[in-house]
Amino acid sequence: MAYTFRGGLRLEEHKNTRGKRIETLPPPKTVSIPLQQHIGAPCKPVVAVGDTVAVGQLIGDVGAGLFCPVHSSVSGKVIAIEDKFAPMGNRVTNVVIENDMQDTLDPSVVPFEKPLADATSEEIISVIRRAGISGMGGATFPTYAKIESAIGKVDRIIINCAECEPFICANHRLMLENPAAVVNGVKVLLKAVGVREAYLAVEDNKLDAANKLEELVAGSKMIFVRILKTKYPQGDERQLIYSLTGRELPSGKLPADVGCVIFNVETCASIFYAFSEGMPLVRRIVTVDGDCVRNPKNILAPLGASYADLIEFCGGLKKTPKRVVSGGPMMGRAVWDPDTAVMKGTSAILVLSDAYENDTGLPPSCIRCGRCVQNCPMHLMPNYIAQFSRAKEYDLAEKFGAMSCVECGTCSYNCPGHMETAHDIRIAKNEIKKAAKARK
Amino acid sequence: MENHPETKTAAAPETPAAEEKKTPRFPERLVISPAPHIRTGETTRSLMLDVVIALLPAYLWGVYVFGLRALMLGAASIAACVLFEALSELVMRRRVTISDGSAVVTGLLLAMNLPSSVPIWLPVVGAFFAIVVVKQLFGGIGKNIVNPAMAARVFLFSWPKEMGTFAEYGLRLSGIGQEDITAGATPLVSLKAGVFPDVTLADMILGKTGGCIGEVASLLLIAGGAYLLIRRVITWQIPVAFIGTVALVTLLFPRTSGNNLNFMLSEIFSGGLMLGAIFMATDYATAPVTPRGRLIYGVGCGLITVFIRYFGGYVEGVSFGILIMNLLVWYIDRYTMPVRFGGKQVEAKK
Repeated sequence: MAYTFRGGLRLEEHKNTRGKRIETLPPPKTVSIPLQQHIGAPCKPVVAVGDTVAVGQLIGDVGAGLFCPVHSSVSGKVIAIEDKFAPMGNRVTNVVIENDMQDTLDPSVVPFEKPLADATSEEIISVIRRAGISGMGGATFPTYAKIESAIGKVDRIIINCAECEPFICANHRLMLENPAAVVNGVKVLLKAVGVREAYLAVEDNKLDAANKLEELVAGSKMIFVRILKTKYPQGDERQLIYSLTGRELPSGKLPADVGCVIFNVETCASIFYAFSEGMPLVRRIVTVDGDCVRNPKNILAPLGASYADLIEFCGGLKKTPKRVVSGGPMMGRAVWDPDTAVMKGTSAILVLSDAYENDTGLPPSCIRCGRCVQNCPMHLMPNYIAQFSRAKEYDLAEKFGAMSCVECGTCSYNCPGHMETAHDIRIAKNEIKKAAKARK
Repeated sequence: MENHPETKTAAAPETPAAEEKKTPRFPERLVISPAPHIRTGETTRSLMLDVVIALLPAYLWGVYVFGLRALMLGAASIAACVLFEALSELVMRRRVTISDGSAVVTGLLLAMNLPSSVPIWLPVVGAFFAIVVVKQLFGGIGKNIVNPAMAARVFLFSWPKEMGTFAEYGLRLSGIGQEDITAGATPLVSLKAGVFPDVTLADMILGKTGGCIGEVASLLLIAGGAYLLIRRVITWQIPVAFIGTVALVTLLFPRTSGNNLNFMLSEIFSGGLMLGAIFMATDYATAPVTPRGRLIYGVGCGLITVFIRYFGGYVEGVSFGILIMNLLVWYIDRYTMPVRFGGKQVEAKK
């Protein structure tokens, strides 16, 4: 039986870098590390301009509430602490470090001292929290908090290896080149959450990766590989849970409410590094692709490296770009500055011309073809919700289920009339939330 | 000359400055736009092109059967629709959207819904009604409430003599100029009178019968529908529910004595049922968007069609069936809303 869900779309994959080995970015001269790379409170700098820092040294921390500490990805000197615009449009404090190219390790970077079997859940969570690990799929929820909220409530762990967005191959390469790190990370998570089942969910366009994982977990009675039908948005947590378990997660609820907790595959590898090397989350794999990039690659980059550095490492541009997208083309965010910093949630950098827009030169218009209704993975009527949103009838939009929208973008992608359906719904959601806040 | 050494040396080396110029750079301003940043290749234009491709065989059959006049009527109808679309958009200060192809489809459908003997000015009047009154006054593409070509056809019943005279099968009329024609009874008119048509069922399916230009070639219309289904331009619900309903009701309650099955088949292969069910009831703007809604809409179209064919003053059940169901689309959509993922039925009460 194929594991899948109803709705959604098979997209053109554009997975141009699926055969490209992960290459390490040459050490950048400077890195600019944002102190908020996660959901939750922004960190405060714990270093000052002029300080010497080492790889893995804590540079930003809060210490209370939902947070995720930030560490230096290079060794060198702090040359500035300044506010910069983040891709979300908010201002975030950045620690700018000049790289001394020595890669001096911070003394705190030491492997976990106990065998995993003897470690308690609290100890594991504490290591994960101190290592600043957050979800690396894009939503960047602090991992320690996710584990804490799941303990006692869930019966299984799901590892999201779906990577359903076009272009991105970062997870695919990780599974191919370092499947052991992934599986070992899963073992840590099983121990931390205290459950006996973990499912690695891989789409069937990555069977080579699934086989690598399968080799490692063959015979395991706790870790299983599940092959999902390739379909967008299979990597959305709701579709993922449904495909694997048949449980429907309603809007406003957390996966733990239906007994599941989901971690991204690279998050698992980062957890493993935090235990095996003691290395906090200071680097990640980024797919750099798009029709404007001369030589698309999968790059292991230190956090805080500039997008321009990574693009340069790919041979630079071959066409004048129109957009630079952080993340996948379906849900990623267009950034305005090529010097934006790589963060914990940056799975891809796409440099796109207008070749993928299929612009007809006509004004956008809904012809009511119903494709958005047929393809909505949340089984909504996106055309009506978007129409109400444009008419500022937000109450009606809410009645038609606007808040259930997961903003996967399937409706806009597949709209022959080129409407910005998903964005209109996004606006309605914001207005509905605002109105709800005002009522309180 | 091509291998002249001087020309070669002149073109070969490039100064570093020129090289520098050729390297693309980041533009001064990158575009910030909401996700998604890629789109499918399907556009309104490509969909309309598919509909035209699907309609052409049946239309060309009409031209073959009814002569050059059928071609002239089609040309006049399409040209008038495109022209009125452009003019009305200019007058209303909207962007001119004739390149989306929707006016071409309306024009072609309108011509296919006319008898071959009508004067050339008639489709022009119809085009004005379809494009200006039904479509643009309601806001343009996707915003009209009823099907423009269908409404125009019903409007043109204001000329009953022209609209009610059908050339016999194979009576080819010249391009322009009025001719005296021998009007033949269409199968639908015969059935209305309670007698079997004097053409065989096979001839009706193949299109060897009198009728509107584009409605006679049932088999070619079905082929066009199959093309649209394969290309995923339309979904199966509306045509199947529409034709299925007509088939079921006529099978259960025949108007003629004798072979029920034969009567049922005569009903579904006569008149505009194939053209209407496959190409006009499936018009995006005026049909429901939900799968269940499309089934209900198709059944409704079928029931009204049979009702009017049986009891109405006109024989044109399909046209009225579709137009009446067009008016109910919003309510059908609203009450057939899909069950939300992870949620109960949304109560869309207002």
